[in-house]
Amino acid sequence: MVSRRAFIKASGLAMFGLGIGGIPLFIMRAAAQSKIISPYKKSKILVCIFQRGAMDGLMAVSPFTDPYLKEARPSLFMNANSNGSLLDLDGRFGLHPGFQSFHQLFKDKQLAIVHGMGSPNTSRSHFDAQDYMESGTPFTKNTSSGWMNRAVGLLGHDGSPFRAVSLTNSLPRSFYGDNPSVAISNLADFAIQAKGNKANVNAAAQSFEELYDAAGDDLLKETGKESFEAMRLLQKTDVKSYKPANEATYPNSPLGNSLKQICQLIKMEVGLEIAFAESGGWDTHFNQGTDKGVFARNAADLSNSISAFWKDLGQLQDEVTLMTMTEFGRTVKQNGTGGTDHGRASCMFIVGNDVQGGQVHGVVKPLAPENLADGRDLAVTTDFRSVFSEVADKHLRLTNDKILFPDWHGDKIGVMKMS
Amino acid sequence: MKKLKGIRLVLFASVPLVLTSFSLNTKSKVKFPYAQAGLTDRQAAAHLLSRFTFGAKPGDIDNVLEMGLEAWFAKQLAGDLPDPIVADKLRMYDALQLTNTQALDLFPDAGELRKMALEEGVITKDSLTDLDKKEYKEKLKAYALSKGFREVKELHRQFISQKIIRAVDGTNQLREVLVDFWFNHFNVSVTKKQCAMFIPAYERDVIRPNVSGKFENLLLATAKSPAMSFYLDNFSSVGINERFEKAANSKVAKKKMAGKLELTNEQMAQREKKRKTQGLNENYAREVMELHTLGVDGGYSQKDVTEAARVLTGWTVYPMGKNEKAANIQKLMNKVGNEGLANNGFVREGDFLFAMNRHDSKMKTVLGHTFGAEGYTEGVDLLTMLAHHTSTAVFISRKLAVRFVSDNPPQSLIDKMAKTFLDTDGNISEVLTTLASSPEFWSEQSLRAKTKSPFEYAVSTLRALNAHIKQPWQLNNWITKMGQKLYYYQAPTGYPDKGQYWINTGSLLNRMNFGLAIAGGKVPGIAFDLVALNNNHEPESAEAALPIYARLMLPERNLDPTIKRLTPFINHPSLERKVENASKQKNVADSLSGIHAMDDDAATNQKEKVLNEKNMLAQVVGIIIGSPEFQRR
Repeated sequence: MVSRRAFIKASGLAMFGLGIGGIPLFIMRAAAQSKIISPYKKSKILVCIFQRGAMDGLMAVSPFTDPYLKEARPSLFMNANSNGSLLDLDGRFGLHPGFQSFHQLFKDKQLAIVHGMGSPNTSRSHFDAQDYMESGTPFTKNTSSGWMNRAVGLLGHDGSPFRAVSLTNSLPRSFYGDNPSVAISNLADFAIQAKGNKANVNAAAQSFEELYDAAGDDLLKETGKESFEAMRLLQKTDVKSYKPANEATYPNSPLGNSLKQICQLIKMEVGLEIAFAESGGWDTHFNQGTDKGVFARNAADLSNSISAFWKDLGQLQDEVTLMTMTEFGRTVKQNGTGGTDHGRASCMFIVGNDVQGGQVHGVVKPLAPENLADGRDLAVTTDFRSVFSEVADKHLRLTNDKILFPDWHGDKIGVMKMS
Repeated sequence: MKKLKGIRLVLFASVPLVLTSFSLNTKSKVKFPYAQAGLTDRQAAAHLLSRFTFGAKPGDIDNVLEMGLEAWFAKQLAGDLPDPIVADKLRMYDALQLTNTQALDLFPDAGELRKMALEEGVITKDSLTDLDKKEYKEKLKAYALSKGFREVKELHRQFISQKIIRAVDGTNQLREVLVDFWFNHFNVSVTKKQCAMFIPAYERDVIRPNVSGKFENLLLATAKSPAMSFYLDNFSSVGINERFEKAANSKVAKKKMAGKLELTNEQMAQREKKRKTQGLNENYAREVMELHTLGVDGGYSQKDVTEAARVLTGWTVYPMGKNEKAANIQKLMNKVGNEGLANNGFVREGDFLFAMNRHDSKMKTVLGHTFGAEGYTEGVDLLTMLAHHTSTAVFISRKLAVRFVSDNPPQSLIDKMAKTFLDTDGNISEVLTTLASSPEFWSEQSLRAKTKSPFEYAVSTLRALNAHIKQPWQLNNWITKMGQKLYYYQAPTGYPDKGQYWINTGSLLNRMNFGLAIAGGKVPGIAFDLVALNNNHEPESAEAALPIYARLMLPERNLDPTIKRLTPFINHPSLERKVENASKQKNVADSLSGIHAMDDDAATNQKEKVLNEKNMLAQVVGIIIGSPEFQRR
């Protein structure tokens, strides 16, 4: 059998030589591996959104009946009664009005919330906590790979170069590792653009491919290889003129644009299985606001982007699960500047047709001093790994927790439907 | 030629100076151990330039050799070479020398503008709900215009332009590299509006003068700067000062007794609420330990963070701006007078204010060290202690080694640098001299080990091409596209300094496209002459151009594999066929138009040929710039 790499190269060059693509690369690759040719086989897709900066879970999904919360937050407390603007979820928790577009998803049981979620490592450093959550090893700093990259490795079949895509300028920590993954901030930029005619473009592209293939530096060599494979797949579609389906309207924000492009990739059937996007600005130390303000704006952007994505997916919703995550929560007490400082547990949102939706999962005890972590923060009652591993298991059929989350032994909490 | 002589003269003149400053700096005469590592003088000079400049320009290796590597390095550390080109180019930017107050007055942000417009009755409070309405926006715009205000965008455009110009044209290259390094270490971000207009002065007055001196000075200067104070919220961190609390309470009590003050229950409750919600913000205290000094494993606890935050309460910004609130505080301060302020424990230094009434007066303990009720000096003592901590020595040494040696520098090197750091009271120049004098720096593993950041990549391209910047803005757009939006990195960590962060499929394609675009003359504002680069010899063919330009752009590297691999593609048949076809078609057209046009046709053909050759040369150079070899330094 032809070796995989040699075959790809040969076919790739042949395509450039012809100028127009013949048979798609991955069909040829599958043929070379004598596998059943099913390049357009639909796989399940997991979309993860990292809320960088640490979302205040107690404001997002607020235990509004808790008198301790009211006491601790003189100007930040919100209520779900007739004077308040929280959207009552179950008589105990209220959804911040910024997340209004989540309310229907919750009622339709397509949205599950996990509260009291966080890391067993008590670090309150953004950098560390994100690092731990993305590597999936909260007590080991030198884990070189991200858990999503390990998940890619566990998928167990040969994939397209777009199997794992991050809609970011640079590769997130979650995607670090040996399994191919790409970072794209704009699908339209994904081509070699040279001056002059097509021959020039092809010559330049071939030269670069040849050079990167021979690079002494592994990082450049591997990334180069992935770049050219990915580029060929995208060349066929007019990505600029995309129109969302079902009258979905994405916010014109970085997250809105990221999710729109993820939806495009899903519909283009280029073999996407794990996607990643980011939402920023959650580090609300200062004037966090209630109905209006920084938090409300961030919440609206997050929920409106996700809701538009979900609407746009239409029939494809069955294939997709979307999960948010944030590095930690914020102090129960508001600080001296109308904000909240770094705390412990927060909450997360999971959207999908195979989630146990319409429920707030997890354990949030009354915020009495004796129940708080270090006497100040919402305690972590659900290890983030138990949720991540359950979603990976039930949605992507990845059961090897030893590889996904090496030093974790714990129970899943039933946030996904049994199947 | 005349110009060149001038430069030489300067270099010679500076040699004796160099030697004296060098012997002052170091105990024994430094000799870089590159010969032991098997490097020739030229290779060593190329390596030195790749690390301590933004890339070698044509002729730079010869200049370094002429001066001597060690002397060149010392001169760069001193950073006092005249910089006429930069001075000349920066003359067109009028906002670079503004103080913070001037910047705020001239470039008020949206919030500030709104406040002033409200106070002057240009807009009403009711209209604040229509922030997005056209009419409202136009009113504000007209108001800003009438006052001569400019958009804060313009300030940042000038600021970013100066960074690019200094990096490309600056003679004190190491200073520019260090400004970039330390800014990133003490990162502040334009994305945070409150600090955005103070960032140009931050780089100019806080970072730039301190990049190669004592680390302690750098730390203290950043701690006192409005940019950092706003970025990490310390300006708002307040503690209870018993003396002021008592005074305020007794004042209220007296007034009450005299019947001068009637507070309703509601007012009392509001006072109480305000008192309760004003308070500690530990953001800066945490980051100063985690990111600026000790490092995350530097041996501090959450308790240390909270206590350090209490030590730093009252470290804030002197009220600036033309709004009423600031003006009232300024008035009050002026009334009390400098002496009065000092007598009450207040400290004002430029834009920095230590407000004693906001400073927590109880005892605190940080890392086992107790801080009493001394006010301002507690913070200075804390920062000084942090600056000299063993963990800081290791953390800073490691970070410098990552920047100047490799993404995973050897521990032996870090140990040597940390020792120098501790022995010399945190002298950055000495630590860098230890680095450059170490065998680790010159070892095989360190050569070309670093991946250029997008900024370094773009700037080194311009330097290698000996390019002239007319307008840096388009170049900045490319740098952004390649993954580095200058001054916009949001997190206090600054950009991660490792290849893995910069190199991914999307960014790599953008790098290749940048190479093709710039060499093809498609980056507006940048001018260069490829033929002049090769002493005005034009290569006969693309094939001939390849080795010539590869060696010009990437001096002292083994390029044989690159050249061998590329040659077949450079000689691409389709390229030549294209040229041939074009001329054939032309000939057909010519024969139809008749014989009398022959001279013209010959000229056109000749012109076309030249154009094609030019394009081919541009493409060859573009491919070299986009090649993996050029991504590394």
